[in-house]
Amino acid sequence: MFGILAAATLLGATLTVGYGLRTGFARAATRADLPDVVARFDDRSRADVDRRVRALPGVQSRAYRFEVTGTRLGAAGGRTRDGAIEVVEGGRRGYAVITGRDVRGSAPEVVVERGLASAWHLHVGDRLFVGRIGDLRVAGIAVEPDNVAYPLATAAHVYLARSFLDETFGRDRTPRANVALVWLRDGASTATFLQQARATGYGLTGLRFLTRDGIGVQLDDAAGIVVALLGAVSLVGLLAAAVLLAAGAQADVQRRMESIGIQRAIGLPAAAVAGGWALAGLAVALPAGTAGIAIGAGLAYGPSEGLLSALNELAPGRALLGPLAVGLAGLGALVAGCTGWPAWRAARRPPVALLRGAELTGTRRVRRTGVPPGPLSLGVRLALTRRLRALTTVAVLAVTGSVLILMLALGSLLAQLRDDPGTVGKHYDLIINLPADQAAAVARVPGVLAAAPRYAVEAVDSFSLGEPLRVIAYPGDHARFEEAALTAGRRVRRDGEAEVGQGLADALGLNVGGTLAIALPNGRETRSRVVGIVRALDHDGRVVYVRAAPLLRADPDLASSVAVVLERGADVGAVRAAIEARTGATAKSPAAASSRDRRFLGTLSALVRVVAGIIAIVCLYALVQALGILAREQRATISVLRATGAGPATVGRVLAGAALAVALPAVAGALALETAVLGPAVTRLAAGYAELSLAPGAGQSLLLVAGFVALALAASAWVAATTARESIVSGLRSQ
Amino acid sequence: MIEVSGLVKTHGEGSTALRVLDGVELEVNAGEIVAVEGRSGSGKSTLLHLIGALDRADAGSIRLAGEHVDGRRERELSSLRRRLVGFVFQFFHLVSELSGEENVLLAARLPGAAPGAQQRARHLLAALELDGAEARLPHELSGGEQQRIAIARALVNDPPVVLADEPTGNLDPVSARIVLGMLRQIADEGRAVVIVTHEPEAMAAADRVLRLTDGRLR
Repeated sequence: MFGILAAATLLGATLTVGYGLRTGFARAATRADLPDVVARFDDRSRADVDRRVRALPGVQSRAYRFEVTGTRLGAAGGRTRDGAIEVVEGGRRGYAVITGRDVRGSAPEVVVERGLASAWHLHVGDRLFVGRIGDLRVAGIAVEPDNVAYPLATAAHVYLARSFLDETFGRDRTPRANVALVWLRDGASTATFLQQARATGYGLTGLRFLTRDGIGVQLDDAAGIVVALLGAVSLVGLLAAAVLLAAGAQADVQRRMESIGIQRAIGLPAAAVAGGWALAGLAVALPAGTAGIAIGAGLAYGPSEGLLSALNELAPGRALLGPLAVGLAGLGALVAGCTGWPAWRAARRPPVALLRGAELTGTRRVRRTGVPPGPLSLGVRLALTRRLRALTTVAVLAVTGSVLILMLALGSLLAQLRDDPGTVGKHYDLIINLPADQAAAVARVPGVLAAAPRYAVEAVDSFSLGEPLRVIAYPGDHARFEEAALTAGRRVRRDGEAEVGQGLADALGLNVGGTLAIALPNGRETRSRVVGIVRALDHDGRVVYVRAAPLLRADPDLASSVAVVLERGADVGAVRAAIEARTGATAKSPAAASSRDRRFLGTLSALVRVVAGIIAIVCLYALVQALGILAREQRATISVLRATGAGPATVGRVLAGAALAVALPAVAGALALETAVLGPAVTRLAAGYAELSLAPGAGQSLLLVAGFVALALAASAWVAATTARESIVSGLRSQ
Repeated sequence: MIEVSGLVKTHGEGSTALRVLDGVELEVNAGEIVAVEGRSGSGKSTLLHLIGALDRADAGSIRLAGEHVDGRRERELSSLRRRLVGFVFQFFHLVSELSGEENVLLAARLPGAAPGAQQRARHLLAALELDGAEARLPHELSGGEQQRIAIARALVNDPPVVLADEPTGNLDPVSARIVLGMLRQIADEGRAVVIVTHEPEAMAAADRVLRLTDGRLR
């Protein structure tokens, strides 16, 4: 019962997360009526754009927006300078209003994206300050799945009606647009459309296309890692359940061999005997499975919804009931098969053999060791009597344990990414808002190893002005202060060279040897040759590391801060106090991930924790089930022990020996499997963000050993308590 | 050594309830062998299980070597069985994964085993003439050898009370005579021995024979 409950819990959680992620984009795209193609370009007369779009093949309908980025937004819950106003007109929208209603008429109201509403705790009816316009009433909350949600995405999107702006600022005689939404007719080719659109896009600058299929593939790639991982975990859980259910059923069949023989002797067909066992299994499986799947779904739904929300997707809601029902049916079939199969095998034997209580499977006798057995070693001997089952249990626990330690490693990695600046290549210990010429004074503070001016400026790519990037510059070698992992090329050695984050390199198609032209906020441009590509988590990897001199030549007024590396063993608090006393400025410790990344990492951590917890339950289940089977098979032995004076604690020690006999080899197997197979595989899958190892550390290995020992002891205490309630006399009679 | 008074035990509930023991009175002294006989299902084994603290009585009292058995918790009963009672079963009940010697030593290594139990175990194995049998697994031993191993296991903690449930029921006449001789020797060493049996030879070996009829000993 408990085993089925645990396996069903795992299944319920996996289906909830897996189905949600696998179908989240399609669900959100359908509900939002996401266009097949989104074209972005520099501001242009809407009539001119429409004339070009109308001429393209396969267009079913179209809509235009005017997008204003870099707008200030503010509310009680937060503020940002990265607001994106989407001015919408009549026609199809491309977003789904999930709460409240859409903007309409010339009312002073706004629809906000769900990520913004969630981050700032905005509700329908609240007021939102929109730069240059003022306070607007929030009319609705919307989801537009063409990008991840704020704050995971840099820009926070709000939607305003053009009619409201016309009413407020006067009607624009030649309305302009910079976004075109295009829905294609059924069967029309997106590729053909794009080919034609590029050809007729002559004169439109900054033209970029985003397709519905492309977004889906990108999101599926990211979700695929989580889905594959959960699928593997679920498979392991179900495998464990199947093996142990089959073993348990086999032990039951062995005990009741005589009654099966009698059933066969009076003429009951073998299929009827097996069917009876299968039905009995189902009678237990259905309530336990239903409860387990409900618990698993309930546990995972919250974190899964958070993840979907961060990806700008919609939770499945009632649509999840279908897959859960299929899961329950599958579980029922598995249990029926596992309980019916041993009975089928037994019932096909001659009745006379069954009446003599023939062994369903052979047991191997363990030869004496010469060491007088105590309770623990007796337990080991009993566990090893059925070697195949012991090996199967070890294998199940090893695989489950390896996934568990992978989850621990992933959790640790996520925590590092969130909290440890060193993980993302930040070696400096303090950062102070000070002019560059104060760096030398800071360097003289006791405990400071090195101090240097650090320039960080938000800029855009000169060739593709819509691509924001962050330029980070130091006067000399930046690697001493910040060192994102290098994946191609080399470090910056001189002026005019740049290391480019993977995110920016992907967005701009940059390679080592290419040229990066950066448009600074003052309008000046600086060009650098790309000498290296780095993995950087910060700013979605849209960062550039350069030497400070060329940047300062382009903008001498750049604001700086001072980055400080402390001597080994220096007291951060004392040094900070000394710096603040000397300079009067506040020194801060660097953050690993930005606040928007922290939320996403927090959601992932929660998900990993839920999965790890469920896996621990599976391990406990596997051990309890294995011990339960052992206790049933060795019922007479345990009764003899009790008859000769062994108390519940001694019986517990015997069972603990049996549990440890499979748990300890399983730990070794789990560590080996994680180190050799799972860790490297998942590291390769997740290598896009950071170059970090998922190999288990000493602490995690010790935690796994301690965890398995604790689980083994808990399982043996549980089974011992159950055994102690049984009658010694009936145990003796069972032999 | 064994004092049983007003012992009552009922199996089942409601309309299927069967009172198998209905006020049993029994006293067995040190050095005495008492055989209990009766028809199948008369409650002989139940009486033995109650005396040996393997089961709980509905009413009545039991005292072993001056200690009350009734009304105790399971942990206390385990200790009592370990210190005061040695069991010999009809089907031997040896642990099939352990050799003969290990079966005897297992009882000696239980937490709370009597001091010197391990030495006594080795001495018993030698005294019971189990040469070669101690190294073999139970399924490789004859019935007589298995029962002698079981007797050694019962004596390893030097209990004052030995309870034997059909000790010769599965043995050939020669092995049965050896086992009965051993039980006599055990009693002569100052222990109280109760045998539940159908066998005339076993009854002949006893100092007293009691018949269990209608839930009472006569």
